[in-house]
Amino acid sequence: MDVLITDDSGFMRDLLREILEEDHNIVGEAENGVEAVEIYREEKPDIVFMDIVMPIKDGIEATDEITDMDPAAKVVMCTSVEQAEQMKDSIKAGAEGYITKPFQKESVLEELNSIAAK
Amino acid sequence: MEIDIRELETYQELAHDGAQSAASSLSQLTGISTRVQVTDVSLMSSSDLEYEFIGDEFAGVNIDLRGEIDGEVVLAFDEQGRSAITDTLVPADDPEKKKSSIKEVGNIMTSGFVDGWANYLGAKIKSSPPTYIQGTGTDILPTSATTEDDRHLFVFRSRVAASKDSVNEPIDFRILLVPDSKSLERSLEPQTDKIVSLEKLEVFNDMTKEGAEKAATNITSMTGIETTVNISRLSLVPIEDIPTEVGNKRFVGTVMEFNGKFSGYLVILFDQPSGRAVVDSLVPMETDENWGDIEQGALKELGNIMTSGFIDGWANVLNAEIKHSPPKFVADTGSGVLTPITAQIAQSDDHAFLLDSSIQTNSDRVFTCQMLALPRRDELEQALDDLLVENSGNTRVDPDELF
Repeated sequence: MDVLITDDSGFMRDLLREILEEDHNIVGEAENGVEAVEIYREEKPDIVFMDIVMPIKDGIEATDEITDMDPAAKVVMCTSVEQAEQMKDSIKAGAEGYITKPFQKESVLEELNSIAAK
Repeated sequence: MEIDIRELETYQELAHDGAQSAASSLSQLTGISTRVQVTDVSLMSSSDLEYEFIGDEFAGVNIDLRGEIDGEVVLAFDEQGRSAITDTLVPADDPEKKKSSIKEVGNIMTSGFVDGWANYLGAKIKSSPPTYIQGTGTDILPTSATTEDDRHLFVFRSRVAASKDSVNEPIDFRILLVPDSKSLERSLEPQTDKIVSLEKLEVFNDMTKEGAEKAATNITSMTGIETTVNISRLSLVPIEDIPTEVGNKRFVGTVMEFNGKFSGYLVILFDQPSGRAVVDSLVPMETDENWGDIEQGALKELGNIMTSGFIDGWANVLNAEIKHSPPKFVADTGSGVLTPITAQIAQSDDHAFLLDSSIQTNSDRVFTCQMLALPRRDELEQALDDLLVENSGNTRVDPDELF
């Protein structure tokens, strides 16, 4: 699957890349919501891993824009935020999955497979 | 029970003046120069209070108060302070007289501390004869703070630094006043409209401790370093004293601003070796001793995850959003990190609620991390007003229940 990783932390992008690149194709890495929307438009990945707390544009806003642009987009929030209200906002924006940091490799792959199967 | 925040501020100021008076009594008696570093009023559990006295040996006095304020005062000197006083007042090798000198100095200093309160209240506060106390942990605590139920206590704490020519290291002495609950209720009876429910403050304090525990768990998950929260307290403190409270030790860490139901700042500080240990665990490669991009990035991501662990419980219980900014890396003294933040908060307030949690390791490894939250006070008071105590168990949410 083609995957876009979005996280302002290079450390976290590296960690996700390490987990995903064995079986999937990483089409891009975005450091904020604006970059994520741009890369999505160009690459149309199968799935987007999206952080919430980021500079310039946060992950919920970016998810909203991506799903507006492509209602079939599959976005998994990958964040340390565990607030019910922000989870609900993520659902409203069109996210289909939610992984909380710190995560285990298994939970990332499980979520990815579960979203892909939908 | 509802308490008047303005009255609490007044009592904090009285405690500060009392500590200054006690400190100048010590100077007059012994020639030791003194400086009151900080006085705050903290809401903390008795086990957290005990932890403050673990490790070091203290000596001092315990005095019962009766009258307009009922409670206990403990005035305790660290080992340096005890020796400096006894060596000055009783040069002869007479242990009983040395003990007696501590009792008398403690007695005089406690009077200085308490009398201002009595004068403010226009009432009598009678002191019992002093009881000599010596030891560590619970040996030093007021008896009322060592009950089996780990209840919340309002504690007035002053830390005074002192020095003397013959003493190489600064002396640390502390004054604790633990008023009993009825006396506290009487003293803090609402006089203005700045009212906060004590029960809600206690719930908020518990939520904060739970948040700190979640943050500590996140450190362990990410680094493998076993950690635990040993102190978590909520203090009302003059904003100008906050940088002093954190001190001049050098730290690395992160600063985040949060906004939403209430706003403020969250500061996460690691002492330098602990910061290095965290980065070494996170980044499996040779890292830059000067905190380059890779090290800063790792620490910022850890700060980001710890922050969520810390504040998400507040948001969930309040049924609201609290968003935080991306973390900013800091490497400075504690006071250097806090000064610009307190300057922001001080634009609207002179006192602030400081939520202070200390995380340490369970193992032999040296590891300390301090989490300091500084909410804007008016906004926090409003949020506490909206808090439903029955929601206090709802700090955590499982995303699988929503997705």
